Amino acid sequence: MIGSHLLSVLLAAGDTAHASDHGHHSAHFPVALPTEGLGYAGLVLALPLIAMILNGVYAISGVRSKLPAWTTVACLGTAFAVVLNLYLKADIEHPVVVPLFEWINLSWGTGAISAPFGLYLDSLTLLWMLFVTGLGTLIALYASEYMESDVGPAYCRFFGGVSIFLLAMGCLVMGDNLLTLYLGWEGVGFASYMLIGYHFTKPSAVAAAKKAFIVNRIGDLGLALGIYLTWLHFGTLEYSKLFEMLQADGAMAAAQQAMAGGWEVAIIPFLLMAGAFGKSAQLPFYIWLPDAMEGPTPVSALIHAATMVTAGVYLLVRTFPMLELHPAAAPTVAWVGGATALLAATIGMAQYDIKRVMAYSTVSQLGYMFMGVGVLSTFGAAAHVFTHAFFKAVLFLTCGAIMHGFAGQLDLRVLRGLRHVKGWRIVVWTMFYASLCLAGFPIISSGYWSKDVILAEAFANGRPILGGIGLLTAGLTAYYTFRVWFRVCCGPKPDDHDLAKMMGDDHHGDDHHDEGHGEEDHHHHMPHAPKWAVNLVLSVISLAAIGSILLVPEHGWLEHMVAKSSGAGGVGANHHDLPADAGFWADPHGWMKYVASTVGLLGMAVAAWLHLFNRSAADRLRATLLASPLKAVVRAMENKWYVDELYNALIRMPLKIKGHALHMLDRYVLDILVVDGLGRLPKMIGRTLSPLQNGVLQSYAASMAGGVILIALLILVLPMLLDLLGGAA
Amino acid sequence: MSPLLLILIPLLSAVSVAFAPRGVAFRVATISTLVTLAVSLIIASDFGHWYDDGFGLVTELSWLPSIGASFDMHADAPAMWLVLLSTVLMPVCVIGSKTAIKERVREYYAWLLVLEAAMLGVFLAKNLLFFYVAFEFTLVPMYFLIAGWGGSNRASASIKFFLYTFTGSMLTLAGLAYVAWRFADASGGWSFDIPALTAFASVDLSATEQFWVMMAMLAGFAVKVPLFPVHTWLPLAHTEAPTAGSVVLAGVLLKLGTYGLFRFVLPMTPVGVVEAVPAIGALATIGVVYGALICWVQEDVKKLVAYSSVSHLGFCVLGLFALNPSGLQGSILYMINHGLSTGALFLLIGMVYERYHTRDMNRLGGLVANMPIWSAFMVFFVLSSLAVPGLNGFVSEFLCLIGAFSATPDNAQWPGLLGPWYAVFAGTGMILAAMYLLYLTGRLVWGPYRAPPADKNSGLPTDLSSREIGLLLPLALMCVWLGVQPSGLMRTLEPSVERTLAAYPELVPTQVESMAVLEEVNGG
Amino acid sequence: MAEAVVPEVFGQLALGHYLILSAFLFAIGLAGFVTRRNMIVMFLCTELMFQAAVIALAAFGRFHLDLSGQVMVIFVLTIAAAEAALALGLVVLLFKRQPTLDAEVWSEMRDV
Repeated sequence: MIGSHLLSVLLAAGDTAHASDHGHHSAHFPVALPTEGLGYAGLVLALPLIAMILNGVYAISGVRSKLPAWTTVACLGTAFAVVLNLYLKADIEHPVVVPLFEWINLSWGTGAISAPFGLYLDSLTLLWMLFVTGLGTLIALYASEYMESDVGPAYCRFFGGVSIFLLAMGCLVMGDNLLTLYLGWEGVGFASYMLIGYHFTKPSAVAAAKKAFIVNRIGDLGLALGIYLTWLHFGTLEYSKLFEMLQADGAMAAAQQAMAGGWEVAIIPFLLMAGAFGKSAQLPFYIWLPDAMEGPTPVSALIHAATMVTAGVYLLVRTFPMLELHPAAAPTVAWVGGATALLAATIGMAQYDIKRVMAYSTVSQLGYMFMGVGVLSTFGAAAHVFTHAFFKAVLFLTCGAIMHGFAGQLDLRVLRGLRHVKGWRIVVWTMFYASLCLAGFPIISSGYWSKDVILAEAFANGRPILGGIGLLTAGLTAYYTFRVWFRVCCGPKPDDHDLAKMMGDDHHGDDHHDEGHGEEDHHHHMPHAPKWAVNLVLSVISLAAIGSILLVPEHGWLEHMVAKSSGAGGVGANHHDLPADAGFWADPHGWMKYVASTVGLLGMAVAAWLHLFNRSAADRLRATLLASPLKAVVRAMENKWYVDELYNALIRMPLKIKGHALHMLDRYVLDILVVDGLGRLPKMIGRTLSPLQNGVLQSYAASMAGGVILIALLILVLPMLLDLLGGAA
Repeated sequence: MSPLLLILIPLLSAVSVAFAPRGVAFRVATISTLVTLAVSLIIASDFGHWYDDGFGLVTELSWLPSIGASFDMHADAPAMWLVLLSTVLMPVCVIGSKTAIKERVREYYAWLLVLEAAMLGVFLAKNLLFFYVAFEFTLVPMYFLIAGWGGSNRASASIKFFLYTFTGSMLTLAGLAYVAWRFADASGGWSFDIPALTAFASVDLSATEQFWVMMAMLAGFAVKVPLFPVHTWLPLAHTEAPTAGSVVLAGVLLKLGTYGLFRFVLPMTPVGVVEAVPAIGALATIGVVYGALICWVQEDVKKLVAYSSVSHLGFCVLGLFALNPSGLQGSILYMINHGLSTGALFLLIGMVYERYHTRDMNRLGGLVANMPIWSAFMVFFVLSSLAVPGLNGFVSEFLCLIGAFSATPDNAQWPGLLGPWYAVFAGTGMILAAMYLLYLTGRLVWGPYRAPPADKNSGLPTDLSSREIGLLLPLALMCVWLGVQPSGLMRTLEPSVERTLAAYPELVPTQVESMAVLEEVNGG
Repeated sequence: MAEAVVPEVFGQLALGHYLILSAFLFAIGLAGFVTRRNMIVMFLCTELMFQAAVIALAAFGRFHLDLSGQVMVIFVLTIAAAEAALALGLVVLLFKRQPTLDAEVWSEMRDV
């Protein structure tokens, strides 16, 4: 009986197959068609969901083995296989939409808000999903060993969090409309919150998790408002329809849309940008990312280096046609990216915690990617995302291995000579190769190829100052990267005594459960080298980083992938046909190879001088600088330019004070003074008049007589008074 | 099945609980609320007006025919949903009180059941007097619940709750009575039939009359919502009420205010509404930010959640006064969502309170170490309250904001009188919500474990018992369901919403013009 | 009856005179009631006020050539007589409880 109507209401899937009635292929890039037969793409989302649920079940049923890890690795690995299969099977020339189910679908009269839950499969989606699921699988494998001391509920929680992350990231990248993207956007934010706060007994971890979520929410508000405006102006949130509208009448369509819509349309790219800057840790929102290193290192590698933080770049490449809605939008992105790159690099130079160095370097490299989008090179941006994902993952994972082996020790002033220690070979040399990539070592490093594209495009786009900043940052990057490697891996060979002294005071960065540790206490005094899973993952990702060299160069696979997507407008946008006799300096793509190599090598040379050949020179230099008038700058760099303090003083504290003030206002003025005051009014009137009730008969009589007289007077005098007043008026 | 059952079952069981032996009171109350739930589900499944704007379940029951008073009932789709919300939350409240209430059990459950009858009466009433009687009658059981089983400051909390909301609704009565009197004057006979009065008032009352009638109705409904600045009874009442009281208060009683706005203010006095929209929108927006900032500095968990209601209901009112379908549908969905997620949060806090007898965040923290299941639910409902997409809160908040955002005078189809700035300022509430809710979880769920010794007499396990999990799980599933598949529900709201808004597309431009003229006159 | 012969001696007295007398009597009664404490005197004062009202009623009745004023007078006198019996009985009862005639002793209904 209950079945009939109510169930149909609750289950109202209605017309699930959401109509998409266009088959128009535009000049720039193909517009999506709905398709049959690719429904299994939904598995990419379903598998992490299954892993998540299973991890929850394991947690409840008290599984105390590595089962959660293997489940997660299996699910994510299968998801990767599905993505690979999709890549091979799907025709990347023609984006397709795979409808899954109806999510939000409202219509009234002529208006509608429609956000079907569908997958938008084009080359950009596949590119992103390939490295997201691939790295996700590998890092989950790495974590199976890294987190092994936490086997139990916490282990389930960790892999549950990783699964949620992959699910949300899948929604973000594969969703076919902006609302699904927003769903994933907040979802990865939550996963990041859970995983940063993994060591929940540590107040600093809880604070970092909170900070990450809140700072991201600020950007998210921008994104949400951008989505509202997009819906208001374009009437749809689905990419295929949006792109069709923006491209319908040729390249100028976006500009025309902007003209027609006024400032409310022109502001859309800036709002989307705010979301991107939040998620990708750019100025002014970057402050959450360094703190996010409180999370376990695999999380830092996966979420806060390789995948989630590139969501902002993805968003801007995905909505690249909308960037043209305002002429200042792209330059803004470029400048914010450039400024962040430089700022973060300067902070990274002055940090001693190697994981923090890597965190700032991530912020800085993300700055490059935004610079790439801003100078209209979506190819450069995507290429750098792709290469960076691999080598930065390796860097974090090696840091993690060191941290794991040395009981939480991350100080580059303490660690040394790892090269000479048995069992660390793979860590040392994969780290070396990844450092080469980050530093942009010529030819053999993947970072060199992708970074060069961005720098060259900056010059080709007519932004030499920005290009100059990029080059300077490249030099600084090379310096701080090798500062870490030389300090940690080189130097005199440590003996057992030295190694014991290097140990941190923390077991695996977390010591909140102490059962079963008593007997292996003696292990704490000596570092332990990584085992097979860590070494395997490091080797595989390093190989992938090497392999990515083949995919990245111009006119290669990656450029093709981007050119077939919504980022097509940013492939070859700055390309001008040069006359045959143009000089060497006319084509930035030509000379950048040499200049960037030189700058990178210079940075490495300085690092080698200060930290390899002459290991005390750096300290002497620091002492000299601190004695010089540059003292303030050095101090500021070491203290991260006091940005956190500034935000705290300018935003957080005033808000907190406002909160307290409003609370006081609410309690004392509104409630006690006004409300209770009004409530007390009748009581007060009663109090004032109560002496009249004195029980004496005569006074009652007197007041009665007085009342009668008063009434009589009113009746007699009032009309006269009114007459008088009326007469006067 | 007659909707009368929905009121009679709780009422009659209230009587039987009151006189039943002490031991069976809980069982009788549980069975009664579950039966009511089943009846409401059956009625809902037979309800014939899910997809049109008509009223179903029309039942006539005469009371005082000479003055037009009756117990007539009817319901449209939004009312049906709110009926379902109430019948779903009531078993949760009753079962949730099993261990918390140990004295005067019979009275307690009797009052809860009376409360249920009164709430359902509000949503089902077709006659204005019936509506008003039910609306006011919710105060009585709630008053006794707070005063009888509340916290240390329960006396003043219950009195303030009663007097504050009662004062407001006296003015509402005056306004509604005026409408009825004018109707009697015009048609020659007394009638309190809501559809008839609505049709009459929206057309035949002058602009001035509509304005004042609207103000009178607002006085009662805004206090109930509660809209800033008439919200100060809420934190006190919530903090002092027993857990089940807080759940009903947040879950259903606040919705009586927004339901009143939807059912009476919007359709009855459209001319008055268009004059007041900017002011009400501003108050709602201020309420969002104001409530959120106050939440952020609370030490008492329950107070924090109470103030969060002020903030959340601001979104709800903003959506209502956006005067477009997205805003209104979002707002009605918000009523349901807020009932589920905030109700669950109060329930969760109550569970901790039963164990540790404190709600002070300085004394409680890191509970995940001891209560992982509780913590998982807590984080889940915090996310739902945070409007994280994929859960229920998101859809409604998104629609309310987009409704306010698109409510500009130059909107072709649904012109409105709010606009982007209202949405932007209310949108900062999204950030502030993250701040206070994560502050709450950061202190209560995460961090180093700290708690006073657990109460050994409570008879409860350290983590949640299966009874408690059984209460929270359905709510959680509903939150997921409404977050993933809101369209079915939304589609049922659409016709009623459009009926409610029918007058506005023509009225708003007129109002905009007259405002422009006024500005010109003042400027010149 | 319309042109009833009005005795000469009354003709010189206008309605106003009666009303002034009534007002005086009422004022004396009120003043006495408010100022004196003796319950019996207070009771006498109320009687005085009654008589003031009675005189006014009779005068109005004569003035309007209407008997209802005098009917009222008879009613008032009857009730006043009954009341006197009741009130004096009460006074006696009160006197038995506390041997004084002071009205202020009986002020139990005052505000605390």
